[in-house]
Amino acid sequence: MYFLCDASGFYSSAEKVMRPDLRNKPVVTLSNNDGCIVAVCPIAKKLGIKKFVPYFQVKDLIKKHGVVVTSSNYELYHSLSTKMMDTISQFADDIYVYSIDELFARFDTRLSHDSWLDLGRDIRRTVWKEVRLPVGAGGGITPTLAKAASHAAKRIPGYNGVAVIDSEQERISILKQMDVTDVWGIGNRLGRKLNLLGIHTAHQLSVQSPARMRKQFSILVENTVRELNGEIRIKWDDVRPDKQQIYSTRTFGARVTDKRELHKALVGHCESAMRKLRRQKSLTKAMTVFASNSPHDDTAYYRKSIYHPFPVPTMDTRIVTNALPAIIDKIFKPGVCFYRCGVGIVEIIPAANYQADLFSLNNDNPKLMNVLDAVNDRYGKSTLQVASKGFDKKHEMKRQFLTKRATTRWSDVPQIKC
Amino acid sequence: MKVIPVKAQAGLVGFESPAAEYIEMELSLDELLIDKPSATWIGVAQGNSMELDGIFDGDILVISRAQQVKHMSIIVAVLNGVFCCKKIDIERRALISSQVGAKPYFIKEGDDFSLEGVVTRSVRIHTPLNKKIGA
Repeated sequence: MYFLCDASGFYSSAEKVMRPDLRNKPVVTLSNNDGCIVAVCPIAKKLGIKKFVPYFQVKDLIKKHGVVVTSSNYELYHSLSTKMMDTISQFADDIYVYSIDELFARFDTRLSHDSWLDLGRDIRRTVWKEVRLPVGAGGGITPTLAKAASHAAKRIPGYNGVAVIDSEQERISILKQMDVTDVWGIGNRLGRKLNLLGIHTAHQLSVQSPARMRKQFSILVENTVRELNGEIRIKWDDVRPDKQQIYSTRTFGARVTDKRELHKALVGHCESAMRKLRRQKSLTKAMTVFASNSPHDDTAYYRKSIYHPFPVPTMDTRIVTNALPAIIDKIFKPGVCFYRCGVGIVEIIPAANYQADLFSLNNDNPKLMNVLDAVNDRYGKSTLQVASKGFDKKHEMKRQFLTKRATTRWSDVPQIKC
Repeated sequence: MKVIPVKAQAGLVGFESPAAEYIEMELSLDELLIDKPSATWIGVAQGNSMELDGIFDGDILVISRAQQVKHMSIIVAVLNGVFCCKKIDIERRALISSQVGAKPYFIKEGDDFSLEGVVTRSVRIHTPLNKKIGA
C-alpha cells in the first residue's frame, strides 16, 4: 500500500507555524521576486484567492480581505519540510520525497480498509501535533491510485483529508469523480487529446486498452492506465528521472541597462544551473542564454536568445562562464531596460556513459568542481564563486515581505512571554 | 591476493596518536538535549513570571511537541496570537505563573488557545553571547 501525503498550501501554512498571530488569518505567499501568488492557505482559499495570479492584479482584493502577504521564505520552508518528512517516515516502511511538500510512503503490511483510514488520520493528526502543518493523506495500491486518493481526500466532499483506494468499489467511485487531467502524469495537452477520443474522466481512461494507449501516446500513458487498474508500474527511481534540461532564470529586482550588470547576473545563473547539473552527475553539450525586457513595458518588446554548443561536453562552471562575453555581445542592446535573463543547460548527457574522443581536449577540472561544491554546500552558497559574478548583493532575490527565519537563525528565534 | 599493509608516506611524519583507535564523536548538546528533532523547536524566554520554576529572562527554551503534556507541565501555548510559557493546570483549564501571588489565568470560551509543546530543557546564558538571540 502506498500513501501520498502532502501539505495544504504548504508555503502559506508554514508561515503560520512560528507566527501564532497569523494562525487565524488568510495568508498568501509570493514567488521569487514577489511576482505571483504561489501558495494560498486554507483560510485564504475560502475567500476565493487563486494561485498563479500576478500579485499586482489581486492587490485590491487582498487589501479588502486583510490578507497577509509573505515572500518565499525558503529557509523556513526547507526546515519545516524536513521535519514533516521525518515525522511521516516514522510510520512507513519506506518513503520517497517527491517534492518540498509531498512524499510517497510505502507500507508492506496488510490492513483492513478501516485500519488504513485510521492510519491516514493518525498521520494527519501526528504531523499537525508535532510540526503544526496541515497534511492530507491518500492511500492506494499503486502510486498513481495513491495520488488519486489524495486528490479525493482534498477535493471530493465527505473525505475530510483522508481517502484510501483498496477496493474495486472505492476505486471506481473515486475515478468516476475525477477529470482525466486530475490523474497523475496527465497534463493539459495530453488531456485535450484524450478528450478528443471521448476520454473525459479518470475512470474512462482506466478502461482503455493499455496496448492501444501505448501505440497512440507513449509507454507512460500505458503505465498510467495499468496503475489505475492496480498494477504497480512506477518504481521510486522512475518518479524523478534526471533532468534533460536545467534552467536558471529570474526577473531583476531593478531593471538592468548596463552590460556588465547583465554579465554578472548571467554568471550567477550559470553557477546555479551547473551546480544542479553536477548533482545529477551529467555533462552538457550546449546552453541557451537569453534576456528580455518586460512585455508590460511601454517600449517595444525585446527578447534575444543565443544557442551555444560546447566543443566538448562539460561539467565545469568556468568553461561555461567563459563563453558568456561573446554571447552577451550578441544579446545586449543599448537602451533596452532588461527585466529578465537566464541560462538554460540543454542537451544533457549522463557523465557515466560519455565516450571521450581521443583527440578532443577536455579542459574540465572535476576535482576543482568537487571542492567548489563541497565548500558551498558546507559554508553556504557563493562562499566560493566565479569572480565575474561580482560581490554586490544587487541580484539577490527581492523578498519584500520576507518573514523571520525562525528555525534556522538564532537572531530570528521567536520570543516567548513568561 | 596478498596485501602488504604499508602506508603511503610523504615528507616529514610525526607519531601516530596512541588514541587513534579510541576516537569518539565530540560531545554535542543537540544530541543530549533534543529527544526528537522533528518535533522540537527553540524559543527565547522574555519576562520573569516563571523564575520560581527556574526560567529567567533571556533563557533559551527547548520545546517538544511530541512530549506528553501532564498536569502542571511547563508548556508553551499560543494564547490569542502570542507564544507564552506557563504551567498548565489541566483539571481547572488554567495557566499558572510561578510568581508568588500570581493568579491563575482561566482559559475562557472565545480565547484562541493551543498547546505548542512542553518545555523539556532550558539553557541559561551566564556570559553574554557574541550574537543576538531572539527576534
